Amino acid sequence: MTLLCLILIPLLGGLLAWYSQGFNPNLPRRISLFTLITSLVYITALTLTRPLARSSQWLFDESHAWIDRFNITAHFSMDGLSLILILLTLLMGLAALSSAWSEIDKHQGFFYFNFLWTLAGIIGVFLAMDLLLFFVFWEVMLVPMYFLIAIWGHENRRYAALKFFLFTQAGGLLMLLSIIALVVFHYQQTGLLSFNYHVLTLTPIASPMAIWICLGFIIAFLVKLPAFPFHPWLPDAHTQAPTAASIILAAILLKTGGYGIIRFVLPLFPDAVQFWSPLMMTLAVASIIYGALMAFSQHDLKRIVAYSSVSHMGFVLLGCFSLNMIALQGAVMQMLAHGLSSAALFMLVGLIQQRFHSRDLHQFSGLWRYLPQLSAMGLFFAIATLGMPGLGNFIGEFLVLVGALEQHTSFAVLASLGLILGAVYSLRMIQKSFFGPFSSADSRPQDSTTETMIHSRVTEKLHNTDTEIQANLASIATGDQASAKEAEQVKPPTLPSPYPDLSLKEKLTLMSIAAGLLLLGIHPQPLLDMLAQPLAQVLALYTITGSAS
Amino acid sequence: MSSYYLPAGILLSTILILLLSIALKRSHIHAFLITGVGLIGACLVQVSLITAPATSELLFIFTQVNALVSAVLLVILVFLWSQLYHWLDKSDNTNEEYYLLLLTASLGAVSMIASQHFASFFLALELMSLSFVGLIAYSNHNRNSQEAGIKYLVLSAGASALILMGIALIYLQTGSLTFDAVSTSKLQHLGSSPLSLTTSGMIFILTGLCFKLSLVPCHLWVADIFEGAPLPTTALLAIVSKLAAFIVLWRMFSYGEWQTDSAILDVITLVAVASMLIGNLLALQQDRLLRILAFSSISHFGYLLIMLLLEGNTNLLNDMGFNLEAMIFYLLAYMLTLTGTFSVLMQLENNTSIQQLSGLFWRQPLQATCLSVLMLSLAGIPLTIGFMGKFYLVAAAISGQLWWPMSFLVIASVIGLYFYLRIIMIMLAKAERSSVSLKLDMRQSVTSWVIIVTVIGIGTFPSVFADMLRAVTH
Repeated sequence: MTLLCLILIPLLGGLLAWYSQGFNPNLPRRISLFTLITSLVYITALTLTRPLARSSQWLFDESHAWIDRFNITAHFSMDGLSLILILLTLLMGLAALSSAWSEIDKHQGFFYFNFLWTLAGIIGVFLAMDLLLFFVFWEVMLVPMYFLIAIWGHENRRYAALKFFLFTQAGGLLMLLSIIALVVFHYQQTGLLSFNYHVLTLTPIASPMAIWICLGFIIAFLVKLPAFPFHPWLPDAHTQAPTAASIILAAILLKTGGYGIIRFVLPLFPDAVQFWSPLMMTLAVASIIYGALMAFSQHDLKRIVAYSSVSHMGFVLLGCFSLNMIALQGAVMQMLAHGLSSAALFMLVGLIQQRFHSRDLHQFSGLWRYLPQLSAMGLFFAIATLGMPGLGNFIGEFLVLVGALEQHTSFAVLASLGLILGAVYSLRMIQKSFFGPFSSADSRPQDSTTETMIHSRVTEKLHNTDTEIQANLASIATGDQASAKEAEQVKPPTLPSPYPDLSLKEKLTLMSIAAGLLLLGIHPQPLLDMLAQPLAQVLALYTITGSAS
Repeated sequence: MSSYYLPAGILLSTILILLLSIALKRSHIHAFLITGVGLIGACLVQVSLITAPATSELLFIFTQVNALVSAVLLVILVFLWSQLYHWLDKSDNTNEEYYLLLLTASLGAVSMIASQHFASFFLALELMSLSFVGLIAYSNHNRNSQEAGIKYLVLSAGASALILMGIALIYLQTGSLTFDAVSTSKLQHLGSSPLSLTTSGMIFILTGLCFKLSLVPCHLWVADIFEGAPLPTTALLAIVSKLAAFIVLWRMFSYGEWQTDSAILDVITLVAVASMLIGNLLALQQDRLLRILAFSSISHFGYLLIMLLLEGNTNLLNDMGFNLEAMIFYLLAYMLTLTGTFSVLMQLENNTSIQQLSGLFWRQPLQATCLSVLMLSLAGIPLTIGFMGKFYLVAAAISGQLWWPMSFLVIASVIGLYFYLRIIMIMLAKAERSSVSLKLDMRQSVTSWVIIVTVIGIGTFPSVFADMLRAVTH
């Protein structure tokens, strides 16, 4: 029951949150906070009471009867990989909760119900060791996510929610076919009908169909990751989702794709993976470069972050199919670091949108003047995404590139272009939003005394928008001097800021995410140690074939 | 007369009692109660017969599978009957004959499920179809309903004519009217007569049954009649008539060993794939829930037809009973979901266009949740009974190595998702100010809860149901 409880706590918390709405509209979010903290305490207590056993990969393992007809059990196991990802889920859940706290004001009960059920589904995905159970969690976590986007999203939410659901369901159906085909062929081979991961990994299937079955799995995970041709749902879903849902999507949901490849595809289909590896690495490099180029050409902040996710998850894909230890460690590291940094970036975009009612880079600039703390945080996380050494993302990308270099030099060289392009779009984003003279097209300033002043500025800005853009583009190359000067010229006498800077809660959340990234960047060794055994188990099948080739 | 005929006997005597009671004194509540007693009695007897050993006579065959299907059919009828009173009470027609026609249609369906002889099959089919003409055209003020009745009458007569022609051709060839007369083992005794005669007979029968199952290309009637008929009739037409027709098609197919005829197999594959795709494509842009259900039922029967192709294929799971098990599971799962959907529609009365559903989530959370769960079940999302059905179907098809119909199934399912989600999406829209929120009464909320618990309960813990099905089919 120990692991089942981990899923049941958020499920029950969600029901309770929905029910409690009738008594007090503020109750659901408190219940959610309490639920997440309980889960965190519970999982820490679990890991502390049973420290990592050196001998076995699995920390916990339990099984409950479910569908006897097909010998399907509710089988849960947890190893270092699952543990780390579940911790990430819960922590990012807290971050998302923090951003939802004041943003969500309608149907709160139902919101937190869906929120907690999505998290429960994701935790289930990380724990399930029976393929059908895994599939059920995989699909079921999408339904509450769909509601989160479709009800609380922005202007074009229904379209985005539908696209998200259709893409992931199509991938899911292929995976269902593959799961059943895998089980049927396994039965042919061994006479044993089983959906159990531990059983299936013992005898990898030898049928020539393995290549196609493997492809079914891979496509389902690529859609979720998302990799290049399967990504169109992501920018829309991210842009239209409420901030909390964006955080969950970027920080955790995308990671289920990477997790699936590492956990299921690699150990189940050793031969087929060798076959597909070049194609997948090509797709990975395509995602890295394509994502970066697209991020550069966007002017909606959320779309920039979304496309940067495509680019960064390309590194995860590259790491997974490089088929060596360093690259795999790098892929997991990249998943964690990207989870933290993209969550923080989405949160910041959400905060900007709350204040300026816009995410469009053309609508505002020079935020540093009024929001120094928010801008500083933005700068920090943008620098983290572009892979500054000393922060988590660097470690991830570096390890992936080192690993890929061993396998295919050309792919690694092409992928390293992603680092440069990453710097280009991140700096452009910072430049346009935080630096330069302050301007805002927001017609609803909160302070009435500054209203006239802002209006005059807006009109002034409209006159020289073109020169402004050119100046900004130039300043990317020449530094910030020109626009800084301009800013000084129009600097009005000291006025009270019309836009509130970060509140204590927001500061705390962002600071802790930043601390997490720093920790990952400076001292990643404990995490790598924790991952060593699960990943070595995954690669056990490849070392033999790898040395031969 | 053995105890196997008891459920049909109970239905028959209920019909006679109801006739007498109508002749003596017209009373809606009496007719309602008499029908209820008859249906519940037949249902209980049928349930107790599930474990009875199989037996076969010239006209009828009684196996455990038959008993299970009939029992579920009667349970569904009882469930629909329980909501019928309120529906009929609102109309200004005389209501008693509606129950009479309902009972004759059920009698036809139950005997059709058990038939294994063309004579009994045809009589049962006609009993059912003719009752449906009355049921469809029941409302004498609604012109659409009259039109639908005429359409159904004409098409049904045409279908019956085709079936009769097919039977005649087969009789000409084999000199026998039992379903297994056309099986290859029996045909071999007849020597060198042209085999194409039986094949064309089979195709005639298949075409006739395609009308009943509204499979492509005989699907054109279905949307108009679903929309024109009174809602309870539509429910009966979609559930009772199609369930019985599909079971009988399966029996002819498997007893007659139709799979040995490659022409028939090609036709069925083509019909299956076309139904899956065209049904879902037609449903994409519909604005009325009933039309969506009509078209989605085309594609669901398209999926089911795949199961017929599995007859005689080698099964990689070494379990020949599994195909039948999967077919029955999918059929029953779909029928239960459909029953739930029609119950919700009956609660919503005639507000079934997409616009009228708009914002239902905030006006009627329980009904909207119920309808969403049902839509997810039709779409086959896990933790609903529809998903388990799809799981069985895909498992059977893959172990029978039917790869390319499976790829169409994936495409069709994704198209299908679009319109099921569209319905949910509409219900999530902001509530309009003008629409008043109706209070659900006790009966309606109990019905909604029963539906939600059944669909999610069997979907999440299918073990009991699966074990029972396995015991019945092996």
